[in-house]
Amino acid sequence: MVTIEERLRVEEFLFKEARLADESRYSEWEALAEDDMHYWVPAEAGQDPDDGRISILNDNRTRLATRIRQLNTGVRHAQVPPSRMCRIISNVEIETIADGEYFVRSNVVLYEYRIQADKKMEVWPARVEHKLRMRDGEMKMFSKHIHLLNSEGPVRGLSFII
Amino acid sequence: MLDNSRPSEGIRFEELILDDRVHSTLYTDSEVFEAEMDSIFRNGWVFICHDSEIPKAGDFVRRNVGRDPVFAVRGRDGEISVIVNRCAHRGNIICQEERGNAKAFVCQYHGWAYDTKGGLVDVPYPAGFKGDFSCHGLERLAKVDSYQGFVFASFNPTVPSLGDHLGRATELIDRAVEMSPVGRINLSGGWVRHQLNCNWKMLPENDTDGYHVNFVHPSFAQAIRSNYDEAVLQDEESLKSEAKDWGNGHTELNFSPSYSRPLEWFGCAEDRYPSYSKALREAYGQEKGDKILLDGPPHAVIFPNLFLGEMNIVRFEPVAPGVCLHIHTPMYLEGVDDDVNQRILRQSEGALGPTAFLLADDSVIAERTQLALAGKGGWLDLSRGAEREVTDDNGVVVGHLTDETSNRGFWRHYKQVMQGPDQSSPTAAAAAA
Ligand code: FES
Ligand SMILES: [Fe+2]
Repeated sequence: MVTIEERLRVEEFLFKEARLADESRYSEWEALAEDDMHYWVPAEAGQDPDDGRISILNDNRTRLATRIRQLNTGVRHAQVPPSRMCRIISNVEIETIADGEYFVRSNVVLYEYRIQADKKMEVWPARVEHKLRMRDGEMKMFSKHIHLLNSEGPVRGLSFII
Repeated sequence: MLDNSRPSEGIRFEELILDDRVHSTLYTDSEVFEAEMDSIFRNGWVFICHDSEIPKAGDFVRRNVGRDPVFAVRGRDGEISVIVNRCAHRGNIICQEERGNAKAFVCQYHGWAYDTKGGLVDVPYPAGFKGDFSCHGLERLAKVDSYQGFVFASFNPTVPSLGDHLGRATELIDRAVEMSPVGRINLSGGWVRHQLNCNWKMLPENDTDGYHVNFVHPSFAQAIRSNYDEAVLQDEESLKSEAKDWGNGHTELNFSPSYSRPLEWFGCAEDRYPSYSKALREAYGQEKGDKILLDGPPHAVIFPNLFLGEMNIVRFEPVAPGVCLHIHTPMYLEGVDDDVNQRILRQSEGALGPTAFLLADDSVIAERTQLALAGKGGWLDLSRGAEREVTDDNGVVVGHLTDETSNRGFWRHYKQVMQGPDQSSPTAAAAAA
C-alpha cells in the first residue's frame, strides 16, 4: 500500500507527463526520463521485450534522445505542425518496487487530431505501465510501456510522444 | 454493365499511362482498384511468406492476396499450400489464428474439418450430407512456387512461371540471402502492420524513389549520422547511387557504389562484427565475401508487393483505393551471432513502421499526396532523367539516383499487366480494329 501522499505525487507526475506529451513540449518531456529509461510500444499482446520479436517502438535512453532530437529539428514532417492531443488517464494502480520506486498501471485514452495530414481524429486506447522513482525530491520515470489495444494493427502513423 | 471477367475493359490505361506521366485517377478510382485486384493480385504472382515462417508440418500463417484472405500452410509432405480462408460450406473463416500449427482446420460454424491441403475430411451429422468430399475442399491458389525460400502464389492456373515473372530480379533476391554466410534468412521476428491512407502504388513508388530523401528526411539527417549521408544525401554531382529498372516492374535503388568501406551500409566499422565478416569471406571466398561486405543488401521492389528493404522484408497490401498497409519484419540472418541479428532488429524498428525515424515522414507525405489527388485530379510527372538513363549489358536500365528510372519501370510493367495480353499483342489489336 502506498500512502495518500505518495499517490498524489505519482498522479501529479502522470498528469504532468501527459500534458507535456499532449503539448509536444519534447525537451521538457524528455527531462522526466532517467538514464536507464525504457520507452516501449510492443507489437503483440504478451510480448517480451527481449524475445527477438519486433516492436512498434523500443527505445533505450540513447535512441529516445535521438527521437527527441529529430522532433526538435522542426522539419519532422509527420509532426509539422504537431498533432493536437488530449489524453485521459484513469484506473491508476500503484505498487512500491523499492524505497521511492513505484510501478504504476493506468488506462489511457488519447485523442489525436491529425492536423498535419488528413485532419481526422484518431483514438489511441492503451494500458500503460510506468516505473517511477523519486530522485533529489523529484519524481522521474525510468520505464514507460504502452500496450496499445490495437498493437497487432493496422496502426496509423505514430510520430508524436505516446 | 461491365463484364465481370474483364473489369478493366472500360478503363483506357493507354490514355492514363504515358511514358513521361501518369494520371491521378490511377490512385483514386475504384474501378481501377477493382481491375488491379484482378489483373495484378489474382492473375499474377504475389509474394505470400517466407519458408522460415512455417518451418514444420502443420505450421501456418494468415495473409491477404489483394483483399482475399488466405493462409499458407506446410503439409506433411513438406509442400506449402496457399488456401483461401473461407469454409466451403457457408463461408466462415477457417483459420482464425494469425499463425500457429494445426493438424487439421475445423470450422467453428458447423464443424466441417479440412486437412492441411484443404481437403474435406469430416462433416458432422454425415447422414444429411449428400455431396462428394472431394468436391467440397477449400479453394486453393492454383500456383505456388518459391525462390530462395520466398513463397509466391497465384490464383491463375495459366500464369507464366515464377521464373518468368522474376526474370533477372532473382539476382536481387540472391543478394538479400547472401547477406547470410549460409545463404539463408529467417523471418521469425513478427510483422508490424502500418496503415497509410494512400493508394498502395505509392509504396513501391516511394520505396524506390531516390529523389525525395533530402526533402522528406532532413530531420533524420540532422538527428542521426548514417550510411544514407553518403548514399543519398549528397549533391547531384557527388551522388554515386543509382536508380534501376530490372524489368517486369522490379525496381531498385542501388546504394552500393556509394560505399567505400566494409559494413558502411550497416552503419558501423568493419571490426564491429569480426566473426560475421570472417564467416562471409569463408563461405563465399575472399573476393565475393569482400564484395558482399562492401555492397550491402539490396534496396529493391519485386512487383507487385515485396520490398527487399535492405535488412528488412516488407509486404505491401492494398485495402481500398485510398488505404494500404506497409508491413515489415527484420530480415534475420542464419549462421551469424545474435548481436548481428539484434542490430538488424533495432535498425528495423528505427527505419520502418508507424513510429520510425524514416517511414513516419514518408507516410504523411503519401497521405497528403492522396488528398491532393481527390476529385478530377490531373497528371503526375515521371520524366526526370529519361534522357540520361542507360541500359546495361544485362538489359537493366540504370539512371541517376534522383531520376525516375525506377518508377518508369514500375509503370511500364503495370500498364502491360493492366491492359492484358489481348490488348498489348499486335495481332489482337489488329483484329479488334
Ligand atoms: S460454414 Fe464452415 S462448417 Fe458451415
Ligand atoms: Fe523515404
